[in-house]
Amino acid sequence: MSEAMKKDIPEIDFEKRAEQILSNEPILAAKDVEVQFTLRGQKLTAIRKCSLELYDGETLAIVGESGSGKSVFTKCFVGMLDKNGSITHGSIMYQGQDLTKFTTEKEWRTIRGKKIAMVTQDPMTSLNPLKRIGRQIQEAIELHQGLKGNAAKKEAMHMLELVGIPNPERRYYQYPHEFSGGMRQRVVIAIAVACRPQILICDEPTTALDVTIQAQILDLIRKLQKEQGMTIIYITHDLGVVANVADRVAVMYAGQIVEIGMVNEIFFDSWHPYSWALLSALPQLGVKGEKLPAIDGTPPNLFNKVEGDAFAPRNRNALTIDFLEEPPLFDVTPTHQAKTWMMDPRAPVVEQPDTIRKLSRQHLEGHPVVDIPHPHLAPDREALIEVKNLQVAFGNGRRKFIAVNDVNFTIYRGETFALVGESGSGKTTIGRAIVRINPVSKGEILFKGRRISGKISKALDEEVIRSCQMIFQDPMASLNERAKVDYIVSEGLLNFHMYKDEADRRAKVQGALDEVGLLPEFSSRFPHEFSGGQRQRIGIARSLIMKPEFIVADEPISALDVSIRAQVLNLLNDLKQKRGLTYLFIAHDLSVVRFISDRIAVIHKGQIVELAESEELFLHPMHPYTRALLSAVPNPNPYLEHGKKLLVYDPSVHDYSVEKPTWCELLPDHFVYGNQRELDGYREEYCK
Amino acid sequence: MEKTVSELEQPIVDLEVDRSAVDKNTTTKYSRGRVHVHARAQMPEKQLFSFAEYEAKAAEYTGSSEYSYWKSVWRSFLKKRAAVGMFIIFLLLFLFTFVAAAIGKYDVFNLRIDNSLMFTSPNSEFWFGTDNLGRDYWSQVWHATRTSIILAVSVSFGQIFVGVVIGLVWGYVRKLDRFFTELYNLIDNIPVIIYMTLIALMIGKTTLVMGAAMIGFGWLGTARNIRNLVFMYRDREYNLASRCLGTSLWRILYRNILPYMVSVIILRLALAIPGTIAYETTLTYLGLMDISTPSLGILLRNARSYFLDYPYLLIFPAVIVSIITITFYLVGNAFSDACDPRNHV
Repeated sequence: MSEAMKKDIPEIDFEKRAEQILSNEPILAAKDVEVQFTLRGQKLTAIRKCSLELYDGETLAIVGESGSGKSVFTKCFVGMLDKNGSITHGSIMYQGQDLTKFTTEKEWRTIRGKKIAMVTQDPMTSLNPLKRIGRQIQEAIELHQGLKGNAAKKEAMHMLELVGIPNPERRYYQYPHEFSGGMRQRVVIAIAVACRPQILICDEPTTALDVTIQAQILDLIRKLQKEQGMTIIYITHDLGVVANVADRVAVMYAGQIVEIGMVNEIFFDSWHPYSWALLSALPQLGVKGEKLPAIDGTPPNLFNKVEGDAFAPRNRNALTIDFLEEPPLFDVTPTHQAKTWMMDPRAPVVEQPDTIRKLSRQHLEGHPVVDIPHPHLAPDREALIEVKNLQVAFGNGRRKFIAVNDVNFTIYRGETFALVGESGSGKTTIGRAIVRINPVSKGEILFKGRRISGKISKALDEEVIRSCQMIFQDPMASLNERAKVDYIVSEGLLNFHMYKDEADRRAKVQGALDEVGLLPEFSSRFPHEFSGGQRQRIGIARSLIMKPEFIVADEPISALDVSIRAQVLNLLNDLKQKRGLTYLFIAHDLSVVRFISDRIAVIHKGQIVELAESEELFLHPMHPYTRALLSAVPNPNPYLEHGKKLLVYDPSVHDYSVEKPTWCELLPDHFVYGNQRELDGYREEYCK
Repeated sequence: MEKTVSELEQPIVDLEVDRSAVDKNTTTKYSRGRVHVHARAQMPEKQLFSFAEYEAKAAEYTGSSEYSYWKSVWRSFLKKRAAVGMFIIFLLLFLFTFVAAAIGKYDVFNLRIDNSLMFTSPNSEFWFGTDNLGRDYWSQVWHATRTSIILAVSVSFGQIFVGVVIGLVWGYVRKLDRFFTELYNLIDNIPVIIYMTLIALMIGKTTLVMGAAMIGFGWLGTARNIRNLVFMYRDREYNLASRCLGTSLWRILYRNILPYMVSVIILRLALAIPGTIAYETTLTYLGLMDISTPSLGILLRNARSYFLDYPYLLIFPAVIVSIITITFYLVGNAFSDACDPRNHV
């Protein structure tokens, strides 16, 4: 959030909005819904007696970690539960009908699509690749609105226009592969909205998209809601997105809504310990040099019967009764309920944690700036990794694709260097080039002053392998499912025979597991028994055992749940201090890296456009792309989000036909990419 | 913040708490971080609303189970009754081939040709009757069964082993893809029977040579199959991780790729065994196999000319071939299903 944007925050009257929403009738009321799945002969209770009232015209966001049941709960409303699942208890009243009584497809078809429509997460799979875009929209219109032929076609084109796809006459005849991810999601929304549904369920519609595209889709959904007067249920795990779209927020944990209230009440005055933990653990609110308040452990296994408050084992302030008796919903205000014994009058008084109070003042005070020493400013700084004019190209001849071009940067010992960009920008390619997985086609990479790109001696290769390690994005894919943790962690030891005997190897594995906070008995298990966060820590242990100096962390937290992210970030920070590690931290989310990184480089289409100390970059972004990215990042604060103006980056503002752009240190330690004229402009603006 | 006091009047939890109960009765036991439920009834309200002990380890514990890959494979295989039953029958059959020679009245290596005894139907002297030359059929059938099973098993194992090794390298090492593809085309484009004929005529027809030749041309299909499967796993992140750790090619193939192929390999192996027996029969039929020691193929070939008049000549070896084929078909499918972790209960 730039300083400039902070000044003109509009006053939003959340109370008035609450009154307005609650004066409407609830259009959908779910009561005590219980959903069970049969999985490999076992019963899994995914939704445990969950109730919800949906008011006409509101946007209700349901937040929760993966497995909390937020998707399953809403799928009940459209009868799209998987075959092995069924509603075993409760009722869902909609327009005088109980949806839980529906059995046949025919009954569902009167509701699904027509009255309640759904937009799913992945725009790649929800469109038919063999059919023209227009036809797919037209089909939905013909099916649900009864229009035929030309009328339907006209309506389809109108829908395309409505969701912001330019040139609908041409786009109508195109196939899905000719659309970008964001455009495809717009088409999916068009299909969902085509039948003018009363309720639109958006199930993580932007999770697979880049931040700048996400911001545009969120804008679109808001606009459509206003125009069509729809009621929207928005499912997400991203609290920034919640702050952006929601009127009301429901927090789900282990198949129950644990807290529900107006968006400002949840963000600034929540009372359930899980909501506290969730909000406190946000990296966006972290203060540099301090630990993030992480939530230990993992969500409960819903195959087992949950007794009491499901969150109790992870709650540091849990009461004895939390383990024994399920708490009822307590009213905090007429619009705000929390399901925790903490609200019981007999319970000891617990104050809201500092972070929650800090959050409510954030939009007035701005981000806390802490003055901590940055390794790159030290007088005796040592360049660990130097990247010079790096180019990485794939393929050859005619099909050559340049993924990264003319990239320069230096990483100093002891710093966390963040590389931020959207998908396809080449950030991972750079990381992989440093650990010698991707070949370098031009330029060079130096490690402690020695060239490690291209052909190098075997001894140096071994040294690089030992000192430069990598942590991967997807904890599901980065561990070998068919090997025990013991083997996975000791793989590096085996390769270089870095142990005296079997006992020594085991001791080293135990040591590494202990260092990442895993129990020693985990070594004899297989990866699939662990949660995402635990798996990520196994991956970290695997690289730590090599005793590296430098670690490339390739989006290590983007596939993790909010509550787990803080664990992993804390771990990485601890290790950095304990072992004096240096990180190249690759991420797509600017707000996350602010907390952990010393310097940030922003990369766009294979070219680093700006590089600066992290606070400096947030306060004085120069390159238009950086600014667009900053404006698109969702901030977990409804005040900031509701009034924000989106900047859209248009690459055509750069005219490099006459003057060639250069990589220039415009201010001390602040590099920008641009030609002389642009650089002058940036400088002028900064001086203002 | 004000808590609503509406429900305050009635206790929200209807506790039948014995107020006199002292804390020493309520030993707070933990099982995976939770107080046992039975403790609740004896607990005074004051204690209920006091902070519980926090156990970081217990928080880490939530949600994990015991699992072992091979144990699960075994357990789900045992559930397939038909396959297990057939496999036991097959094993008994194979063991019986050793017993049969001992209990039989004639030694297979010292059979006399006696025209007066030709085409004797099964009786108490000749349990399976005699063949067209008046030789005891019992000893021949069982000996042939043993030879065929041993040949089939070793040839199949050889084929699959070579095929898997080549397939793994072919699929994983990009630089060798072209080479192996061309090699595959070169061998595969000429009918294998021509190669076999040439080998039989030029090198010899002994079981050893022909067995080796069968391995030499039998790996192609497996290799191709494995190669295509390797493609699915080659670019997964965990292989990148292994490369970052400097893991050698062979260890990556062995530890990272091979375990995912187990189910396919088992299936191919199981189907290769009856396949080899059929193949051997074909080769014998064409006269490309040494006929000095009886194999099922040889018996079937001989029986072909007479089976309309003397069906027992065909029935005995045919039943045995059928048992072997059905067994390995069932066992192969069952076991490869069991190897697929998605089917693990």
